[in-house]
Amino acid sequence: MNDDYLWDKSGEPDPEIQELEQILAPLRYQPTPLEMPNELPVTRRRRNYFPLLAIAATVLIALLAGGLWLRFRTEESIPPVEATIVPSAPSVKEEVVHNTDLRKKVKPVRRHTKQVFTNYDREEALAAKEQVMLALRLVSEKLKLAQRRTQGASPNQIKNQHKVG
Amino acid sequence: MYELDATADVLLMRPQANAARPQKDETSVEAVLVSAALAGDRDGFGRLYDLYAPLVHGILLARVPRDEVDDLVQDIFLHAFRKLNTLRDPEAFGPWIAMIARNRAVDFHRRTRPTVEMTDDLGGSNTSDSRATEILELIRTLPDAYRETLVLRLVEGMTGPEIAARTGLTPASVRVNLHRGMKLLRQKLGFTEGL
Repeated sequence: MNDDYLWDKSGEPDPEIQELEQILAPLRYQPTPLEMPNELPVTRRRRNYFPLLAIAATVLIALLAGGLWLRFRTEESIPPVEATIVPSAPSVKEEVVHNTDLRKKVKPVRRHTKQVFTNYDREEALAAKEQVMLALRLVSEKLKLAQRRTQGASPNQIKNQHKVG
Repeated sequence: MYELDATADVLLMRPQANAARPQKDETSVEAVLVSAALAGDRDGFGRLYDLYAPLVHGILLARVPRDEVDDLVQDIFLHAFRKLNTLRDPEAFGPWIAMIARNRAVDFHRRTRPTVEMTDDLGGSNTSDSRATEILELIRTLPDAYRETLVLRLVEGMTGPEIAARTGLTPASVRVNLHRGMKLLRQKLGFTEGL
């Protein structure tokens, strides 16, 4: 069946379709003006700002993260202060530790930096060290006394038990 | 073999492509009118209404009672005017408003109770109008795709290429819908009493 007439009204007209068109013609759209109220708001194209906001937020976050990273990195990589040792200055550490019982326990401090000590500094350091040593002795004695009082035994017994055990 | 098939396809498709070509200018007119309406030109939207009211009328006529169609056409265009800023592609105004019309028809049936449509026979008016209503009822019993295309063709007087261009369907789909819908309608008409 040739349906050209049904498709685009070309070719030989189909009488059945023509009759249907005539019958259905009263139902066809009758032009009527569109009644638009005056207060109807005029629509305007709203720009979608979401992508721009997303990009701005991403850039902001990246900048903040970069700033924080740089800050931590600079704090970690502060270069050591370099100083020179005055050859005439005596070694304070050797002199002081030599006469004490704590010599074995005190580990030599590894210094990464070289420091300069003047005579005044050395004397002051020696005085401070003497005070610290005195305080340590006092504390040690007090600890021993407290230990004796709590255990009620002589220090010799404790020492022997310690040796046996 | 493949070459022969390809040639046959080209030959089959060429008339459809040519038929759809005249609609291209009209489509660009739509884009201009949509832009004008978005800029606040109410006359521009009025021209879009003139162009597309028959399409919307046909889509509604295939789905809702005849008495409701005119009011719904107005409502749909007012709704479209308010929501025109959501239309991304101005060239696609036709498919867009066709979809609004279909959705509105679905809403209409969801919100209203099923009613019996009063035909003009009760008032004793002319018989040709009642015959038209009777055939329209038969068309409404067809599947969705067929009845919409048939109403646009037989009632609104649009050609197949026009239907394709305005609704956004492919010309091949419209042609198939017209052919199969007409075949079913003929069967129904012959089954009842014939023309």
